[in-house]
Amino acid sequence: MDLLLVEDDADYADTLRSELTALDHRVVVAPTGPAALVEVERDRFDAVILDRMLPHLDGASVVRRLRDNGHRLPVLMLSALGQSDQKIDGLESGADDYVVKPTPAAELDARIKALVRARAWTDDGAETLRAGDITISPGQFRAWRDGRPLDLAKLEFKLLTELARHAGSFLTRAMLLERVWGYDFEPATNIVDAQVRMLRRKLTADGADDPIVTKRGIGYMLRG
Amino acid sequence: MASLRALTAVFLGAFGAATVATGYTTYTATSGAIVRLVDERVEAVSRVLLSEARPGDAATILQGIDAFARRRDSGDIGFELRDARGRRLGGNVIVGRALPIGTFDLREGDGIAGLTAGHALVRDAGGGLRLVTIAETEPIDGLDAARLRIYLIGFGAMVLIVMVGTGAFGLLVRRRIAEVRATAEAIIDGDMARRVPVDPRGGVFAAQAVAFNRMLDRIAALLESVRNVSSDIAHDLRTPLARLHARLTRLAGQASSAEIADELDEALAQCDELMAMFAAILRIAEVEGERRRAAFAAVDVSAIVTEVAEAMVPIATEGDRRLIVEGGGEVPLRGDRQLLSQAAFNLVENALNHTPPGTTVWIGAARAGTRAILSVRDDGPGIAPADRAAALRRFGRLDASRHQPGHGLGLPLIDAVARLHRGTLTLADGAPGLIATLDLPVS
Repeated sequence: MDLLLVEDDADYADTLRSELTALDHRVVVAPTGPAALVEVERDRFDAVILDRMLPHLDGASVVRRLRDNGHRLPVLMLSALGQSDQKIDGLESGADDYVVKPTPAAELDARIKALVRARAWTDDGAETLRAGDITISPGQFRAWRDGRPLDLAKLEFKLLTELARHAGSFLTRAMLLERVWGYDFEPATNIVDAQVRMLRRKLTADGADDPIVTKRGIGYMLRG
Repeated sequence: MASLRALTAVFLGAFGAATVATGYTTYTATSGAIVRLVDERVEAVSRVLLSEARPGDAATILQGIDAFARRRDSGDIGFELRDARGRRLGGNVIVGRALPIGTFDLREGDGIAGLTAGHALVRDAGGGLRLVTIAETEPIDGLDAARLRIYLIGFGAMVLIVMVGTGAFGLLVRRRIAEVRATAEAIIDGDMARRVPVDPRGGVFAAQAVAFNRMLDRIAALLESVRNVSSDIAHDLRTPLARLHARLTRLAGQASSAEIADELDEALAQCDELMAMFAAILRIAEVEGERRRAAFAAVDVSAIVTEVAEAMVPIATEGDRRLIVEGGGEVPLRGDRQLLSQAAFNLVENALNHTPPGTTVWIGAARAGTRAILSVRDDGPGIAPADRAAALRRFGRLDASRHQPGHGLGLPLIDAVARLHRGTLTLADGAPGLIATLDLPVS
């Protein structure tokens, strides 16, 4: 994908660019907010990775300018840890996702892919979701595999729904914690893995093949 | 405060005693002086009168009396002359009886017309004659009453002014002390930004408040730098760790054998553990930084407990332990949902990690008056009372748990969350097992 990385810390920008390049992205680095606004007008990008703290024009203002100028491309904001008030501020300014620095490039990669894919469909929350032979009706809190109803606990259902919503994309543990459990912290106990194991057991109870793909160190994906 | 009050009482008592003593001394001294003046006047007048006549010359003495009585300033003095046999020869007052030589106090009962109180001096005028000189002291006695009134009003006003002044002074001092105390208590509660109000008009109290505030600034700066040291280290190490993590992830994807893949998985897990540790350090710093208090909102502790239990049930089941939610019903509180969830999470995590399989863990929320109680207890082996304080210390890990995963930051984080909510975290004997309680004020 074509990514615009807006980051004033040259060292960090360099590291991130080489790591993202290794993950098959083309990365343009802009060191300041105004430079980023120029780049967005000049070139077409799939997504923007934006540092929250920038000199002169901070990240939140850059997103607001982008949105005011009619740019709808996904924006992923980066910030220093321990400043959760900035997270709210960042999302309110129009950013699509928010992660804490330093995020592993793999995490950024997963999040950007999920964001870009999410742009492809609209979500009214009650729409029936399909992923392979799995059908989910979020409105009714019910799910089926190959026509047979699945008996899922609340968290299992939420987890399956989130995976199905992004079927074909990997969702990281942090993403799942945020979206399924609603937590902004990562517990030492791996509740995501435990929940995925439970869900997997129910999905494959009658000998059907496992629809959930695990990628080591990254996360999980439901086959589309 | 008690000593201030005692000091005020001692001061007022001493002042009152000194005032009464001064009043009494002044009163008696002036009274004595006036009486002495009267005596001296009587003595002088009679001496002058007698010196103008030869001894025993009654006629000249009586003329002298007449001449004296005609003078303008003589109204308070009276004379009577008697002969050797006590017969009255003349004078301008009539004393009912003959008096021997000497001085006397006269009262109403002495039968002198128009005199209720006076002083008499009887002198030998030669040839058996006796001259009685009388001075009226009634106006002086009237003056005494007036003097007493003046003393009472004068000294009373002084006492009153001093009492009111002392009271006002005490009130002022007490108010300044109360301001300092309120600030100290706010600081103890974790509001490090609180300062003592400074009187813009200056003065010693303002100077003291400024010094106190500077001390607080200094403490806050030191605290901040101590906090920053650990969070800066954690922060700076996160970037290389993230790179290491990325590299290991990439290698794990290309592992040539299952054995190497397993080793890399193990390395990745250790890397995750380190990152979790730094995340915990930074999280504690964030909680202690107090900024999250601004985002407090209405939360239901019961709902938090239920959610945490739901998330942890699979883990408990996999570890052959039971996790049971106790109680129910709304337990409303103003707080931070994320941090309270994390605290509840850590408590359940601890209970599951530090007990043997087969243990039952209970988590519950309840309301007790104006407090919300979130408790996690288990029927495991518990923690010895002597070890509980160590368990709450940062990186404080008990020997029994050294071989288990964890970084010793779980309880300190919960403790910080409790303090952010102006509550407490306590570990107690659950008889059997351990009971950890978060006691939080509702608002």
